Amino acid sequence: MTTQDVVSAVRESVATRTPLRITGRSNWLDAGRPVRAGKTLSLRDDSGVVSYVPGDLTLTVRAGTTLAEIERVTLEHDQWLPLDPYGSSDGTIGATIATASAGPLASGFGLPRDLLLGLEFVNGRGEIVRAGGKVVKNVAGFDLSRLLTGSWGTLGVITELTLRLYARPRADRSFVVSLRGEQAKALAHAAYTAISPYAFQLVSASVARALGLGAHPACLVRLGGNEAVVAEQLIVLSQIAPTKEIEPHTWTALRELDVNADSVVRISNVPIQFLGASASILAEDIPGVYTCIDPRRGVLRIVVARNGQEGDDDTVAGGTSVEFGTDNGRSSEVIFEKLPADVWVRVSPSVVADSLSLGIRKAYDPHDILNPGILGD
Amino acid sequence: MTLPSRPNASTVADRLAEIVGERHVLSRQSELLVYNSDGLPGYRRQPSLAVFPGNREQTVAVVRLLAREGLPFVPRGAGTGLSGGALANDIVVIGLHRLKEIISLDVPNRRATVEPGVVNLRLNKHVAPHGLLYAPDPSSEAACTIGGNVAENAGGPHCLKYGVTLNHVLAMTVLLPSGEVVELGSKVGERDGYDLRGSFIGSEGCFGIALDITVKLTPKPPTVRTLLADFMSVDGAARVTSAIIASGIVPAALEFMDGPTIRVVESSIYAAGYPKDAEAILLIELDGLESGVNADLETVRHICLEGGARNVKVARDDIERMKLWQGRKKAFGAMGRLAPHLIVQDAVIPRTKLPEILETIHAISEKYGVVVCNVFHAGDGNLHPNIAYSADDPAESERVHKAMTEIMRACIDAGGSITGEHGVGLDKMGYMEAIFSDNSLNAMCELRGVFDPERRSNPGKVIPVHACKEWHAVPGTRGATGLRSRIDAGVPEPLSAEPARPSAQ
Repeated sequence: MTTQDVVSAVRESVATRTPLRITGRSNWLDAGRPVRAGKTLSLRDDSGVVSYVPGDLTLTVRAGTTLAEIERVTLEHDQWLPLDPYGSSDGTIGATIATASAGPLASGFGLPRDLLLGLEFVNGRGEIVRAGGKVVKNVAGFDLSRLLTGSWGTLGVITELTLRLYARPRADRSFVVSLRGEQAKALAHAAYTAISPYAFQLVSASVARALGLGAHPACLVRLGGNEAVVAEQLIVLSQIAPTKEIEPHTWTALRELDVNADSVVRISNVPIQFLGASASILAEDIPGVYTCIDPRRGVLRIVVARNGQEGDDDTVAGGTSVEFGTDNGRSSEVIFEKLPADVWVRVSPSVVADSLSLGIRKAYDPHDILNPGILGD
Repeated sequence: MTLPSRPNASTVADRLAEIVGERHVLSRQSELLVYNSDGLPGYRRQPSLAVFPGNREQTVAVVRLLAREGLPFVPRGAGTGLSGGALANDIVVIGLHRLKEIISLDVPNRRATVEPGVVNLRLNKHVAPHGLLYAPDPSSEAACTIGGNVAENAGGPHCLKYGVTLNHVLAMTVLLPSGEVVELGSKVGERDGYDLRGSFIGSEGCFGIALDITVKLTPKPPTVRTLLADFMSVDGAARVTSAIIASGIVPAALEFMDGPTIRVVESSIYAAGYPKDAEAILLIELDGLESGVNADLETVRHICLEGGARNVKVARDDIERMKLWQGRKKAFGAMGRLAPHLIVQDAVIPRTKLPEILETIHAISEKYGVVVCNVFHAGDGNLHPNIAYSADDPAESERVHKAMTEIMRACIDAGGSITGEHGVGLDKMGYMEAIFSDNSLNAMCELRGVFDPERRSNPGKVIPVHACKEWHAVPGTRGATGLRSRIDAGVPEPLSAEPARPSAQ
């Protein structure tokens, strides 16, 4: 499959007025999003490395390339793409960028938009557009890369991406703290002020049990860099609570809790809100409901397992009204990542209802054939 | 050139004066001279009027008046830009330097909301007592404004580790050219939907005016160490740059200065103690937790010496550190000693091409008999080849411009970008078609068309007008009558065709 095949598919859809469901490896099809499409356009077969110059720390790949494949290719040169979205590693980079999906490493390396240098996409008229470039710093022209990131395929079918890589650190170690009392607050405070972890997550007891890390809420932390900087940060943490080293695979297991979820809600607010409220949020222990907090990023994720005891929309609604101790007049931002299909229509307002977003949508997909409905439009 | 905005200019001036006060509207040619160039003095355009609103309400009223009249305008911050982007060709300049309030500072959450005219350095002084800093640090930080930073997506030496303006702006209140006020991004957290915030940043004044900007502040790193490594060959310094990046260490900054630059700086008031006989120096800064920084410092020192550095000197204290940086940050200023005008480029190349491109630049400079000084962000591959020259000498100007065009061509051929942080503006518009296809340029035009359907905000910049399909398809069907000709009047010839204009002084 090539860009030209995508062009043909889009043009045919325009001609026949058949809206397209754009997918990578179909991992998001179970997110319940209300897409009105007559046909599926999968980028699954459009995969592989286009160019990779390790010395430049940049990688250009086709959109259907899986994250696992990127990890394999870059590891050969002792490099990596520090992007670990929740869910399975067999997801594609195209879908990861299109959905702006991030994972625990966002704490240390930023959001997908921070790792994207440029892309190629096919717009809703079947035209090939390139944005950004292959270099690590670039302000030539208006920023279409950022615009396409998180646009859920509604502005164009992403066909190729150039990403910023990092050299693998000499030390990359992960630790767990089984939380008691006020430790969550102290650790979160340390993570925010005294150390620079690659990843830092406060997780509910249900998550700890699922990962085999005991029966209490826990703190998972990943430290990287040279040996000295890891050791220095570990000392800071150990002064608050005993730490235990864990296998890197624990992070994969944490991310994969999403695979069997039917509802995922992401709530974000300013970091300070999470420093104070983490302990009380984590105290609630509902089987099948996994809660993870990244206080540095200011994000709380509530994952409700499919067939979980409370896996109905009441749980979801309950999750959206998380109370922060002090109200400073700033209500949280809420993003629904996955919901049961019948719940979408009730809880998710359109996220492209403002006139600028509608104008952009109309300009890039004038015939309304790219994932119509996926953003609640 | 027809100047349709001229006939009613006096009445518009009167009405603008009613909004902002008489002394904040300039209309005499002599008064407007100051606004006819930016930090790149080779370009000169005379605005028809300059208006300086004193607050948000006045800014909104000014833009709404211009919208009703169908008049184009150019938003301007401190005018320190290096792309000719803030120039107004016989249209209205809206100077935003009076909007300089730091609206709020949230120390615990490390964010601040500021008006667009707040100068980087002032914001930094304001937040420093709280152990915080605003990371983007363009070399003009003592004068440039956050609003201008947003327009250009400004960088600076430390964006190697900390990222550019885009990575530090959370939200903005934006005044669209129509006069409508919208909120982009979120001050609180993450939001889904299209990243309008990200689209606006770096839109070079073509999408509207940011009335307030909420930025992320960064904790001051506990330990900062600065190294100066000097080399007897440009190639050696270029290879060491690649080796440091490849080692996995992310320096806070990794700056390169070549021999000609070193000697100019050392003979200026900004002399930093760089070795005058060196062919290249690298200024490398490491920051973070103390033990980690010290370990990296040893690794970097080793890589430098292995790679042929003659000396590696580590600044002993903050005073020595600031002196090393002063020479780098004021390098462009020091070039003023050589000749009255300076032309500077901003291409970015893949880092592995650095030794090759520096050699090519040297060959081009010999071919045209010009002295190219190289002072740049090596860690990013963001070059700033610059030539000091006299624009009053037509023959020299021509050689300089031919050399610069050839250098840009070589950078594009190496797979690079035409601009890393200065923006396209007028200066690099002629190169846009060399790196983007018609469809890609048109997609950018369409995005601009959503924010500014009449193309009245900073017309004639960034994208050549003829690249916008829709504009050709329905000329004159949008906005005020005759707008097309007004906007075309603002379109400059591409750089390659424009020899630098004689200085007005």
